[in-house]
Amino acid sequence: MADVSLEVITLVSVGAHPTSGRARRAEQDARAVELGLHLAGNRLQLLHAGNPYEEALRGYLGMGIPALHVLEQPKGADALPVLVDYLREASVQVVLTGTQAETGEGSGMLPYLLAEALGWPLVVGLAEVETIEGGSAQVLQALPRGQRRRLRVRLPFVASVDNAAPVARQSAFGPARRGQIEVQEVEVVDDILLSESTLQPSRPRPKRLKVIKAKTAADRFRAATAKASGDGGQILRDVTPEAGAEAIFKLLREEGVIR
Amino acid sequence: MLNILLPILLFTALALAVLGACRRVMLWRQGRPAQVDLIRGLLAMPRRYLVDLHHVVERDRYMSKTHVATAGGFVAAAVLAVLVHGFGLQSRILGWALLAATACMFVGALFVAKRRRNPPARLSKGPWMRLPKSLLMFSASFFIATLPVAGILPENFGGWILAAVLAVGVAWGVSELFFGMTWGGPMKHAFAGALHLAFHRRPERFRTPFNASAARSSGLKALDLNDSSAPLGVEKPKDFTWNQLLGFDACVQCGRCEAMCPAYAAGQPLNPKKLIQDMVIGMAGGTDARYFGSPYPGKPIGEHGGNAHSPIVSFEGKALVDAETLWSCTTCRACVEECPMMIEHVDAIVDMRRHLTLEKGATPNKGAEVLDNLIATDNPNGFNPVNRMNWAADLDLPLIASKQHADVLFWVGDGAFDMRNQRTLRAFVKVLKAAKVDFAVLGLEERDSGDVARRLGDEATFQQLAKRNIATLSRYRFKRIVTCDPHSFHVLKNEYGALGGKYTVFHHSTFLAELMDSQALNVGQHPLAFQQGGGLTYHDPCYLGRYNGEYEAPRKVLKAIGIEVKEMERAGFRARCCGGGGGAPITDIPGTQRIPDMRMADIKTTGAEVVAVGCPQCTAMLEGVVAPRPEVKDIAELVAEVLIETPVAPVKPSAAPKREAVEVS
Repeated sequence: MADVSLEVITLVSVGAHPTSGRARRAEQDARAVELGLHLAGNRLQLLHAGNPYEEALRGYLGMGIPALHVLEQPKGADALPVLVDYLREASVQVVLTGTQAETGEGSGMLPYLLAEALGWPLVVGLAEVETIEGGSAQVLQALPRGQRRRLRVRLPFVASVDNAAPVARQSAFGPARRGQIEVQEVEVVDDILLSESTLQPSRPRPKRLKVIKAKTAADRFRAATAKASGDGGQILRDVTPEAGAEAIFKLLREEGVIR
Repeated sequence: MLNILLPILLFTALALAVLGACRRVMLWRQGRPAQVDLIRGLLAMPRRYLVDLHHVVERDRYMSKTHVATAGGFVAAAVLAVLVHGFGLQSRILGWALLAATACMFVGALFVAKRRRNPPARLSKGPWMRLPKSLLMFSASFFIATLPVAGILPENFGGWILAAVLAVGVAWGVSELFFGMTWGGPMKHAFAGALHLAFHRRPERFRTPFNASAARSSGLKALDLNDSSAPLGVEKPKDFTWNQLLGFDACVQCGRCEAMCPAYAAGQPLNPKKLIQDMVIGMAGGTDARYFGSPYPGKPIGEHGGNAHSPIVSFEGKALVDAETLWSCTTCRACVEECPMMIEHVDAIVDMRRHLTLEKGATPNKGAEVLDNLIATDNPNGFNPVNRMNWAADLDLPLIASKQHADVLFWVGDGAFDMRNQRTLRAFVKVLKAAKVDFAVLGLEERDSGDVARRLGDEATFQQLAKRNIATLSRYRFKRIVTCDPHSFHVLKNEYGALGGKYTVFHHSTFLAELMDSQALNVGQHPLAFQQGGGLTYHDPCYLGRYNGEYEAPRKVLKAIGIEVKEMERAGFRARCCGGGGGAPITDIPGTQRIPDMRMADIKTTGAEVVAVGCPQCTAMLEGVVAPRPEVKDIAELVAEVLIETPVAPVKPSAAPKREAVEVS
């Protein structure tokens, strides 16, 4: 299904193995590359902002892509502005990213900030691109518990990929060794937020206590498989943006998210 | 009239043979260059064939004797026929000699014909069924034609009718035996086989006279990864070296490899004989429609084909060989051990796997995951490397990093992460401590030896692991390495050398035998020794036995603890693989039955209630067979069970030695 005219770019980062912490191709980014390969074949472009001499980047080339473009940056520089500048000039229709980086800040904010800065729509949790025609794409978005939501999104758009996307193909040594890493010097923008704030090790989020109310096996099965149903929610249709924002603001207050 | 016809026939056939030979040589030369000492090889060839190879050929006594008569008779008859009938040297002595040679050949050919009356399944049919007739025709025709030369019959006996009949017979005979030899007929094996022995890619296999299978040369050859222009493995038949192509051409299709191959017996789509024939087809171009042996199980004949310049494995549609054929191999080397032509099947398979993994990223099933784990965590299952020594948390093992030197470096292997194998390791440590061996372990500095990565074709990951291990080992002083894992043993002993790591390596069974020889171990008799019925059998690990020739030490150890081994029919060099080698459990190509089940059936036929093993892979594979089945115990466990640990002050051993508490399994 590779489309010859489609310009797809996948943003890749350096990952870290969950048990050993060694540098590797990041799991979600590799899935984004796999999805990009389905869309554009080996015309897929890869973009990384950071150290071009990091060996782990070759893991992406090993998937059969001839080149990887690197915007050279020192550690701790802000990747967002340089990526935005590059993507604005690149005349691409689809930008794919992972959901959250395995190294660095790993805030998961990049796709949102990128879409905001570019003014493009963002699809979170892209699972599959079904069709692309007439300036818009029909895609499947992954929701919890294996559910899918079909969306129509206009090009160009940014999409982040999580573990619902197809598994990345094996990275082979030969293409990884042959692949070209094209280095581009860019203006280094300091990440002010990072330099001003302090980092602390993350703690695993405490788990909610699980209260088992089910009396029978059938009830337990239903509870395990039922859709997550939020009760007490409300659906707002055809309201003004102001009214919508007001409602969201009110909810966040009630829930104690903002004070 | 024959005086005119015979020279014409002989010299035409010889000329065609020379032409065919040139053409065949051109086919081989499509391959990549190889370092071969041509002159020395040619000079050594008769010795290699007549002396070194003897033991392997002799395993099939019927064919061995038949071959002596037929081939010996033929070579003599061919030379003499050229002299007598070609050049017209009508000497009576030569005539008698030629009669003797053809008679000898005729007798041999009769036995060939007998074998072909009801041939075993492993033999190829087709043109091979014609061969005994051609042999009989050649020898009989020349015998009769030579009778006048020897003075037994008058000149021109039988007139033109007999002359015509003889001319036809001679024409048939020389077509098959002279130019058929170089134009791809069954007799090709003689021509290609002789040169293959001369230019063998592992000349060191011929260093033991009379027994080429005892001269171990089993380490895979390293790829030069620094040379970015060299192909990573074999994609097309022309990517083999020329002497590998020559080796394939030498195959006589006797099917001894097929009869021994565990994957073939399990119904997996691999038949070593067919694979070698497919390589010949790839070299010469064509399809397998003219192959008359057993197919790959489940794959009909006639659908595959290729040529020297097109890929062997195709990912769309069919090419020469399907990828799953290559991934079915357990690298047990039973085919190589059995081959009377010394063809190197395993090298070829790994060469082709290298291309699939290194260039195509097409390692099947769990392959990619295992390789990623090896890269990221130095063990195939992705366990956190800091947990590598958890199995010995309470054993207080000396680390070589703190001792700097030791007599024995105990190479633990990745079995450290496996709860079953931890019992073996703990048993062996117990023995080491009881024997007061000065030993140490690498601890967290140890990495996977690279065996699985290499057999899966990932030479890059293998070399990376190997180089890091070599760098670690070079920091410490030790006399030898001892390991409970034959795969690590083989790789450390035979495959690290090419990358700069040369060590004295012992398998734990060899080491135990040595400890027992030097009276360093105080052991009692194993309870199995006193049992009626039941008993114990021993399963030879491929990487210890066929790869490294160690059949004796494990048996010696078992004997020392009083156990008589009930041998299986397939033991020693013919031991059947457990199915755990070569990454086969990872690529997991389906067959009609499982290899470990077949091996367990072998074990059960001995009536043994315990099977002794010496390899973590064999343990895992055999223990994976459903009960009821004999118990699987490592040699180290059996020895540890009967260890009599001497108290601090030496006391006289009591009459009835109290048995050490058996570790709870």
